[in-house]
Amino acid sequence: MSAPADPDAALMLRVKQGDTAAFAELVDKYKQPVMNVAYRMLRDTTEAEDLAQAVFVQVFKAADRYRVSSKFSTWLFTIVRNLCLNEIRRRSRHAADSMDAPHPEQEDQPLHQYEDKRTASPPERLLHGELKDKIEEALAELPENQRLAIVLCRQEELSYEEIAGVLGCSVSATKSLIHRGRETLKQKLKPYLQSGAWGGPQ
Amino acid sequence: MSNDPIYNHLRELSWRRKLTGAEETELRAWLVAHSEAQADWDAEAGLNAALGRLPDVPVPSNFTARVLQAAEREGAARLLRRGGKWRGWLRLRWLPKAALGAMLVGAGLLSYRQVQAAHHKRLVESVAAVSAVSSLPSPDILKDFDAVRVLNPTPAPDEQLLAVLQ
Repeated sequence: MSAPADPDAALMLRVKQGDTAAFAELVDKYKQPVMNVAYRMLRDTTEAEDLAQAVFVQVFKAADRYRVSSKFSTWLFTIVRNLCLNEIRRRSRHAADSMDAPHPEQEDQPLHQYEDKRTASPPERLLHGELKDKIEEALAELPENQRLAIVLCRQEELSYEEIAGVLGCSVSATKSLIHRGRETLKQKLKPYLQSGAWGGPQ
Repeated sequence: MSNDPIYNHLRELSWRRKLTGAEETELRAWLVAHSEAQADWDAEAGLNAALGRLPDVPVPSNFTARVLQAAEREGAARLLRRGGKWRGWLRLRWLPKAALGAMLVGAGLLSYRQVQAAHHKRLVESVAAVSAVSSLPSPDILKDFDAVRVLNPTPAPDEQLLAVLQ
């Protein structure tokens, strides 16, 4: 058998043979993008962490059945998507149970604060913190498929074809989802975008 | 927003990644010729910058170790599930069935032997009965049997006399 062109698929084939080190390598490589996508879909760090762990366990469980039919990352993010959508559906069924869900009266308060490690003076940090929260909120308000398309689009490993594979739609439909999502974001963030506070045009 | 294919292509590239120097130059040149698209591009670029500044979500330092532990547990559970069926068959499940089967076979053998013994006993008795026949009178005494049989039958009983005698 010839070695797959995708190095991650080659690692996955080693996982299939029971190579735990190869699995650890895959987890190390993808834990950050998986966590980012999970958090932007669920907006809860603990749940995102649990979901990311479940994603990798699922990868491990499915190793026996793994076939190199597409890029590993496409397969991985398809699992992320499915688990995120399951969790969102579960939440909507048990909406009343969630104590962590954002409440309308708390919308002005950020749900989680992350330290921006980029060097900035205190007023700049405050401004960036506020802007970051605004964009997180605007993202969270997008329909799930638009949000996921935009978040995946920022994962540079994924081409439009691969994002389409994850979303289960055509490339043109994917671009349309991204476009519509971005238009909504531009509308919601117009004052901030015009101020050039995020560094302005590239 | 412009529907120009060059602009659309560059814009879609910018959604995914930072434009290269050459792409940037191409875009600048295009914007000089299409100044009406400048505002749209500024908004696109601003949003790209905003999305690009979103920080990575912190991942716990022991995340990989936790995943490996969970996967190990899952692997062990899977082995247990797979092997459980085989081991159950080997150790436990066949035992009552085999015991029942052995009991049935034993009972069958026992009844077969009893039937055989009874049959044997009857055979022995028959042989004994046949051997006893040798002590009977000789068949010579029956040599005139047919002649005697064709003689006139005995006279009918005298019923009047019998009645008087009673």
